[in-house]
Amino acid sequence: MAMSFEWPWQYRFPPFFTLQPNVDTRQKQLAAWCSLVLSFCRLHKQSSMTVMEAQESPLFNNVKLQRKLPVESIQIVLEELRKKGNLEWLDKNKSSFLIMWRRPEEWGKLIYQWVSRSGQNNSVFTLYELTSGEDTEGEEFHGLDEATLLRALQALQQEHKAEIITLGDGRGVKFF
Amino acid sequence: MHRRGVGAGAIAKKKLAEAKYKERGTVLAEDQLNQMSKQLDMFKTNLEEFASKHKQEIRKNPEFRVQFQDMCATIGVDPLASGKGFWSEMLGVGDFYYELGVQIIEVCLALRHRNGGLIMLEELHQQVLKGRGKFAQDVSQDDLIRAIKKLKALGTGFGIIPVGGTYLIQSVPAELNMDHTVVLQLAEKNGYVTVSEIQASLRWEKERARQVLEHLLKEGLAWLDLQAAGEAHYWLPALFTDLYSQEITAEEAREALP
Repeated sequence: MAMSFEWPWQYRFPPFFTLQPNVDTRQKQLAAWCSLVLSFCRLHKQSSMTVMEAQESPLFNNVKLQRKLPVESIQIVLEELRKKGNLEWLDKNKSSFLIMWRRPEEWGKLIYQWVSRSGQNNSVFTLYELTSGEDTEGEEFHGLDEATLLRALQALQQEHKAEIITLGDGRGVKFF
Repeated sequence: MHRRGVGAGAIAKKKLAEAKYKERGTVLAEDQLNQMSKQLDMFKTNLEEFASKHKQEIRKNPEFRVQFQDMCATIGVDPLASGKGFWSEMLGVGDFYYELGVQIIEVCLALRHRNGGLIMLEELHQQVLKGRGKFAQDVSQDDLIRAIKKLKALGTGFGIIPVGGTYLIQSVPAELNMDHTVVLQLAEKNGYVTVSEIQASLRWEKERARQVLEHLLKEGLAWLDLQAAGEAHYWLPALFTDLYSQEITAEEAREALP
């Protein structure tokens, strides 16, 4: 879905790039940052990022305004996203992360709904078929990156609605 | 009638005449009162006729509305007096301001999340007009002020703060004393204010300036900016003109619902 990205009003508001001392204001600020990160990544189809990239990205660095969110504050925003289930660290050093604008459980639900709707319970799919097959064109999860897909399927697996299996030299999934 | 003695009679007559003069004085005042009352009644009737004839005009035209209300004020009539009455029933003028008051509250609630409960009259005006849609009656800033004064009188926590030739409308009962108000007025120019600016313009001690700014931060009316040139800048979302005519987000609209 291609649409021009609309920066929220906060992005042009200089203090947005300073962590606010007032607790209530800070809560609003962090909520706005989380929202912004998710919609930015969604539009730019970015599913993973390094902290270094993030620092220099227009997301956290508004060149025109001459303001950038300091790295300690970026870490706080990322931690908020992690707590909400939209972010996962990809390494122990917390230098790169997976960003999911929809939580894995939510993706899992959508995938399972499609499976049920099309009467394909008890069918087996390759991961590729799910995200890039003809049958799923038009579905929201079409084009989903593999890392997020796996986590979505793992969530379904937890609910005993699916099982991740090995298929040849790749992976697949069976739905129940 | 039999004749009284000349002496007694004369005195009695005199006394009676005096009494009559006195009475006449009273009668005169009464007369005047009656006349004034009749004039007032006529005036009132004329005003009612006028109002009835121009009802549509009054509802549609903000300038006309101002003139009409000035006229009413002259004879001590308040068309916005709540409760039933000739004016609100006949003109529905009361309803108009009541509805406007409700709209104002809705806009303020929806934007409170952003601006902490302070909003410029201009922005309020724009948002109210937007909410009313193309076919609704036109609403002026004068109408807004009147509606807000009504809200204020009802004890809803509304306040009107004069700044730079216009007004900041306060919709949250945050404590704002003279010091705070004066700093708000100073901030209106650029949307932000600094300690140095306050010291220079108002000739205050640093500590006094700092305390006011701390208070504004605490009330959620100001945000801190540590990346500005020189010193910390304190920005007020309410005064940030870039925010004008920005759409109320779905999130904010949800906040407005009780």
